[in-house]
Amino acid sequence: MSRRSGSAAAQMVCACISICVLAGGGLLGSAQAAAAPVARSARTLSLSETGHLHLTSKHGFTLNEQGSASGTIRGTIYIHLHIANNHGGVTAEVNIYPQGGSLTGYGSASYAVDGAEAVFSGKLSITRGTGSYANAHASSLKFTGAILRRTDAVTVQLSGSLSV
Amino acid sequence: MAISARLAILGAALLALAGLPATAGAAETVTLHTSFSPDRLGASTTIGFGFDIAGSSGGVPSPLESVSLHLPAGINYLSTTLGLAICQPAALAADGLAGCPPNSRLGQGSAYVEVPFGLSTGREIPDIQALMGPPHDGNIVVLFYANGQEPVDAQIVFQGELIAGSQTLGGSLTMAVPLIPSVAGGPPVSIVRVNATIGPAGLTYYERVHGRTVSFHPIGVSVPQRCPRGGFAFSGQFSFQDGTSVIARSNVPCPRRR
Repeated sequence: MSRRSGSAAAQMVCACISICVLAGGGLLGSAQAAAAPVARSARTLSLSETGHLHLTSKHGFTLNEQGSASGTIRGTIYIHLHIANNHGGVTAEVNIYPQGGSLTGYGSASYAVDGAEAVFSGKLSITRGTGSYANAHASSLKFTGAILRRTDAVTVQLSGSLSV
Repeated sequence: MAISARLAILGAALLALAGLPATAGAAETVTLHTSFSPDRLGASTTIGFGFDIAGSSGGVPSPLESVSLHLPAGINYLSTTLGLAICQPAALAADGLAGCPPNSRLGQGSAYVEVPFGLSTGREIPDIQALMGPPHDGNIVVLFYANGQEPVDAQIVFQGELIAGSQTLGGSLTMAVPLIPSVAGGPPVSIVRVNATIGPAGLTYYERVHGRTVSFHPIGVSVPQRCPRGGFAFSGQFSFQDGTSVIARSNVPCPRRR
């Protein structure tokens, strides 16, 4: 599901680039089109995201979750949570699909069962993006959350500095 | 008899021959029993475990001080909904089971103890409950509540810590067993038999759905998806007040193919 959304977003980005190149060639002429590209300065967002997700499937020690993210960036969020509880930890792949792009990150966290919830707390890095977030990267974002054990619904928080 | 126990006895014999004290020789023998119910690959299950302890030359064994039960690799703890509530040890000690929510129950069992005096010395502690305690260092804590009757007239709370496993490493449940007084100021009793279960069998939980209280059966831990040659291997390390320790092993057979 996430791949489909990702490829759709990538196709849109390619289409936009193609249109812009064609338009640029037609309107500005060959002299300006040959000019050196303008460097786009990176900016930093103070990220503060909350995601509410529900279980879509469960395979062995992995929970696959889908939901919505809100905060600095709004969009659909997917998380694959792998419980490696011999180390008392989880690893996670997080994909967020805001309008015009996507963000992908990988994280690890400690994990503990606490009654109705299993809570996790650790770090997450944004390693790639597409579209408006093509240059996105972040390291050591704070990555916390809770799994409601009865339903496997997940609440997740991400915070820290994100370069885009 | 476990290989380690044989080695310990052999070691004790060699030390005796050499004229040295055998401080760590096993004076007790332990037989471990384990089961999955149901025993079906990948299924939610109730783990049964029990042990029999015998003293040397048929005498009363030394009081048990700790047990570390090692579970087979591949048990999936992710799926279980056991222990959806927390039982506080102080509430359990003060009020017994009434002090803890039903959704904190994990299992039950019984024990048989020998009192080191009198003629008919064996007594059963018919009611042992296992409950979910507050986590410690991220690990699941299992509280045990033993409701003793005459002459072991004591309500005892002790706890174990479950170090969860994975697909490749087995978890373990380590319990420190308190000395159980026979009478005030008297010697401690010796545990000679324990049978217990951890899992959904016999448990009923409750939840609120649309304003109504609805009962449900919790989901247990899952039997591994694959059965290793020889079955699912459990082992237990038992340490006694006299300083000895014994390792006992037990395998749950692989389920029959249908």
